[in-house]
This record gives sequence, C-alpha cells and structure tokens, in this order.
Amino acid sequence: MAQFTLPKNSKVQKGNHFPAENQGENMKNFKLYRWSPDDEDNPRYDDFEINLDECGPMVLDAIIHVKDKVDSTLTFRRSCREGICGSCAMNIDGRNTLACLKPINEVKGDVKITPLPHLPVVKDLVPDLSVPYAQLASIQPWMKTETEAPTRERLQSPEDAEKLNGSDGKGPAGCILCFCCSTSCPSYWWNGDKFLGPAILLNAWRWIIDSRDEATGERLDELEDPFKLYRCHTIMNCTNSCPKDLNPAKAIAEVKKLMVQKQG
Amino acid sequence: MKQNNHSIISDVKKVKGLGSAHHGNGHWMAQRITAIASIPLVLWAVYSVFNLQGVSYLEFTAWLASPLNAILAILFVLNTFYHASLGTQVIVEDYIANFVFRKIKLIAQKLFFIALGVAVIFSILKIAFTMGI
Repeated sequence: MAQFTLPKNSKVQKGNHFPAENQGENMKNFKLYRWSPDDEDNPRYDDFEINLDECGPMVLDAIIHVKDKVDSTLTFRRSCREGICGSCAMNIDGRNTLACLKPINEVKGDVKITPLPHLPVVKDLVPDLSVPYAQLASIQPWMKTETEAPTRERLQSPEDAEKLNGSDGKGPAGCILCFCCSTSCPSYWWNGDKFLGPAILLNAWRWIIDSRDEATGERLDELEDPFKLYRCHTIMNCTNSCPKDLNPAKAIAEVKKLMVQKQG
Repeated sequence: MKQNNHSIISDVKKVKGLGSAHHGNGHWMAQRITAIASIPLVLWAVYSVFNLQGVSYLEFTAWLASPLNAILAILFVLNTFYHASLGTQVIVEDYIANFVFRKIKLIAQKLFFIALGVAVIFSILKIAFTMGI
C-alpha cells in the first residue's frame, strides 16, 4: 500500500530556538526543517527569530541571513536569487515555491519551511532530485530529426516559436525545472517512481509541439502508459504551485488530446 | 521485474523500468464517455425511482417489462458497472504498490463487476420476458 504516515525516525521534533541578536520593530519567526545524515537524530524544526530590518524582503534573504549570521550549518540550494535557476525550490508556508520569489510579508505568522515534499532529504532543505532528473533524461529532452542537418539554424516560424514560449512568456519552454509542481502532486507522491510527474510531462510536451522536432509520434508512443502519463488525475496542484505561472496541467491535457487524435 | 536490494542500477534504468505499456488512452476515453453517458441515464433512473414510489410489485414489474424501460435499465447497468470498473481500477493502480496484490485485486474486481452486471441484466430480462404483455 501507499505509505501515509512517517516512519518513527522521520517524525519531526521540536528543535532549538535562536533569538535575534538585535530586537526591533519588525520581528519574524522562521521555523526551518533540519535533518543531517551525519547523526542519528530525528528531523526537527529550529526556530530562528529574525529582525526583518536586517535582511532583504524575500524568504531566501532570510535563510541566507540565518546561514551568514546565526547558524552556518543550515543547508539549502540557491544560486541566481531571481527566479531563473530553480535551485531554491522549497515548501514555504505549506506551498511549494521559490524562496527567492516569495516575499516574507506574504506569510502570516511564523514562516515554516520544509524541503520539497515526498523526496528523500539529503540534508536540511536539500532534497534528492536524482529520480526526477533521470525521468527528464528518459523523455530525451533534445531535438530529434531525420532530415539532414542544414548548414545554418533550423528555421521556425514566429507562430511556431510562440507555441514553445507562449505569447506571454509562459509557454512550456519557460520551465526552469525547480520541481515545485511534481512534488506538489499527490499522484507523484504515491507513484513517483513510475508516473513522470507534471514537470517532466510539461517538458515532454515542449518537444512534442516543437515544429522542428521530427520524433513526435515516437515521443507520444513512449508516453502512452497507465503510469507514465495517465496517473495524472487533473488535480491541478501543479499549475497552482508553479512559481513561473506556467500551466503543466494544460500541457498534460494537450498530450492526452493528441493521444486521442493519434488513434484516428 | 523486481530488483533485489543489492543490485547496482542507474536511476535512468530504474525510472525506465520495463518501458511504456503503449496503452492507457482507451481506458481514459472510455472513462470519459461513460461519465457523459451516465448523465442522462442517471437522470432517467432517479426520475423513475421517484415516480415509482409506493407502487406494487406487479405495477413495478409491468413498468420494467416495457421495452423502453427494460432497454434503458440495461444500458444504465452496463454503463454504471463499466464506469465503476474503470474508476476502481484507477484507485487500485494509484494506491496498491505491490504488483502481485495489485494484479489479483484488479482481476478480481473486474470479474466481480462482470458477474454483478450479468446477474442484474439477467434479472431485468427475466422480468421483461415473463411479465410483459
């Protein structure tokens, strides 16, 4: 059966409290999930009190503040700090999003942060993404052609390019692979080893509708599977959680429509 | 194919598994078609149950024996049980991870719905052919 409760050694316990060094008018409590593979301890929530006047406006600013000033052992991924690299995806206030795009003042009360749900944890807020990455490799996210390579770029009409980029920049090519969507999907929680999940299906769709790609049929063949594609039950958590405002649920629906069309 | 705990396999091999089953579209379509078909059929069923309140056994069987009602009743049963079979299959696939248990459950419930459907249709036909005018 699917596992609905945490094993004993994964139950989250109360952790340490770190009061702010300088008290001020804008104080905020951050409850951060902590777990280290180096000891036998259960995961815990550490409480960090932060003077918001001493750090930037985004959640990422706050956890960088913790790492710099309070506890340097706090572990998380981050890189671009402007929502384009997808590294700082985590669950903030019960919702998967990018820490760098999430304003602290949007969170009422304590800011509770955990790693992306339902993935093995490497340490603290860092999830193990090796399975989603392998799933991405399995859909062969590169251009496949039979026509002899031209001596210049492969041309694409502006209309066809717009299918990838979207008229508002929110087409499937806008995916930054942060996996906020896949890890918010209950179907992916229960069957993440076999269901490809919204992020990968969105990327599969991105290659299926690429006017230059010549492997459309093979791509659809590979996706037609009760688990790879049809575990999607249109729950729509993916579209709700996408920090880039993309629409993976619609992409999956479009793939299913093409499957119908393929049958004639 | 079950990997034992000592196999050293790559993540890509793990997620590719046995490859695509190349089906799923038929199930998906059938689920939607039966869902839409159930709208008029369920409305008819509810309307009929409402109208048949308090009738005697003979009045009821006479009602069911009319060709239109018998045909609609059989369509209602076929559509409902087929839709239920498809739906419960999805639930089992979602939540039962163990392959052997899942397969036995899927086969058993399919047989259950077939048996139930045949029994109900036989009953309708029996009434239709014996109680009719």
